[in-house]
Amino acid sequence: MMRRLVVNNVLHRPIRTIVSVIAVGVEVALVILIVGLTSGLLQETAKRIEGIGADIMLQPPSASVFLAFSGAHMPIKIADKLRELRYVQAVAPVLLQFSSSGGVDIIYGIDPKSFRDVSSGFVFLEGHDMREPNDILLDDWAAKAKHATVDSTFRVLDHDFHVAGIVEHGKGARMFVPLSTLQDLSGSRDKASLFFIKCTRPDHTQAVMDEMRPIFPGYEIRPLKDFLSLMTASNLPGLDAFITSMIALAVSIGFLVILLSMYTTVIERTRDIGVLKSIGASKGYIIRALLGESALICVIGIAVGIAMSYAGRAAFLSSFPTLSILITPDWIVRSALIALAGGLLGASYPAWLASRKDAIEALSYD
Amino acid sequence: MAITTTIRPPAEALLSTRELRVEPIVVTENLWKLYHAGKVEVPALRGVNFRVLPGEFVSVMGPSGCGKSSLLYVIGGLAQASRGHVLVDGNDLAAMSDAERTKLRRHKIGFVFQRFNLLPTLDARGNIAIAQHIYGDGFDPHRFEVITKMLGLTERLKHRPSEMSGGEQQRVAIARAIVNEPKIILADEPTGNLDTQNSEIVLSMLSQLNKELGQTIIMITHNPEAAAYSGRVVHMRDGVIVDGVPAD
Repeated sequence: MMRRLVVNNVLHRPIRTIVSVIAVGVEVALVILIVGLTSGLLQETAKRIEGIGADIMLQPPSASVFLAFSGAHMPIKIADKLRELRYVQAVAPVLLQFSSSGGVDIIYGIDPKSFRDVSSGFVFLEGHDMREPNDILLDDWAAKAKHATVDSTFRVLDHDFHVAGIVEHGKGARMFVPLSTLQDLSGSRDKASLFFIKCTRPDHTQAVMDEMRPIFPGYEIRPLKDFLSLMTASNLPGLDAFITSMIALAVSIGFLVILLSMYTTVIERTRDIGVLKSIGASKGYIIRALLGESALICVIGIAVGIAMSYAGRAAFLSSFPTLSILITPDWIVRSALIALAGGLLGASYPAWLASRKDAIEALSYD
Repeated sequence: MAITTTIRPPAEALLSTRELRVEPIVVTENLWKLYHAGKVEVPALRGVNFRVLPGEFVSVMGPSGCGKSSLLYVIGGLAQASRGHVLVDGNDLAAMSDAERTKLRRHKIGFVFQRFNLLPTLDARGNIAIAQHIYGDGFDPHRFEVITKMLGLTERLKHRPSEMSGGEQQRVAIARAIVNEPKIILADEPTGNLDTQNSEIVLSMLSQLNKELGQTIIMITHNPEAAAYSGRVVHMRDGVIVDGVPAD
């Protein structure tokens, strides 16, 4: 009977219900998409770096695991020193350049031969490797997003590059230019942002790292097999706070809409509340009925929100193919619980008000 | 508090030719109800002494604002007495908490209102069944069928209040009031919003409930014709009962 009362009440004012459901849906979708976008980008970046196939990454002291935030450069001669170490098979210096023209990109300046030695080379979908100073390689996602084709001119860093090849994604960056060209363009002659090191065998990684530490005191020496675990929002200053703020904002939307919706419901149904009291409904019964309505709206809103998340992801990826949005069951459940808790909290004040209404005043309400 | 009274039995169902000694089901003693209009206290009831015996059908009449509805609401536990005692089936409402009065109302009292007061989102079946649900024993199909058949609602159960006439709505309200077999029906101007024909139907049904099932009914009314259906008429004026109190 309670279920019937709740369902009928929710259906009684369809527009108000639809607005509330959409608000909860937006709340859920915002949480899922914000977290999904953040974790998707982090995970995708980590996978790309792991995909290079190196065993160790050397960065300057205090450099961030988030490569785009590492501005310090090291002398390129460090590569020679690294190559002298036991169990080191190959070393690839990489200069990173952040570009914000036409999107947010990190460009790798690489020496094709040493990068190939470390990464086992690119898989070319079209074209060929860089041969000239102005050659650029794009991965398939970047080529699609920027509508670039082999042999076309591609402008980045205020420089016209020739698209020499399109490679399979998953090798660190989405754009690769010759190391020397990027050094010239960025005024970092004979500098590198990091070094990828390939050991003779993966189980030599620890030995190489142990040997590197006294030679490069204070430098960031990271095994790449752990890179994925380091790429979390908590390791990026401010990102956690940003995510928390966005979630709080989303929850506030749901909370306020449910609060307002249930408040108007209680006002509108004042007489019904009086009737329920007159037939012996307890305060708890009235609270349960109103919280039940809110819970039903939330459950529908959560389903709508999950659908909106997938639709939103599809829309985002169609417009920005290089984006990665990771929708995980874990965050679907969390966002659902957050929305449900917010909705119930939003409805609890109106429900409490309703339960305390004076029965006689309620019965005479017009 | 045990109060007994000796009366000539009002309901034929309980009658025998000899006098009976019966405990009243409703007793008010020096009952006061004060409302607050800002800082001013407005007395709605000024020391009402009133008794109703089990199986009685009592009408309370009086001009608007004389305290009839207040008396009904205090007896029904919807309002707390400001002073005095209200005993319903031996329970002193004045000493009970809101939750206790709610429980008593749920089990022992059925309300019928002038404006029907059906829940607009539920159909007739739902409006009756919700009283059973709140009562706590769940849906009793047998009792439900008996009541709806008796009130001629069998064909209207799937209709919502907005799809029913006033008379039908009031019959649903009566069904809701009696479905849990309460000891007392409190009817607040039950024919106030009905035409003559429907008023007669509703009053006949209340009278039938009283005569055939021995249902205690206290009815507020302005209408002497409606009051004529009851066994006893009590008149109120300025918050007090001016006549009709049975002799001790």
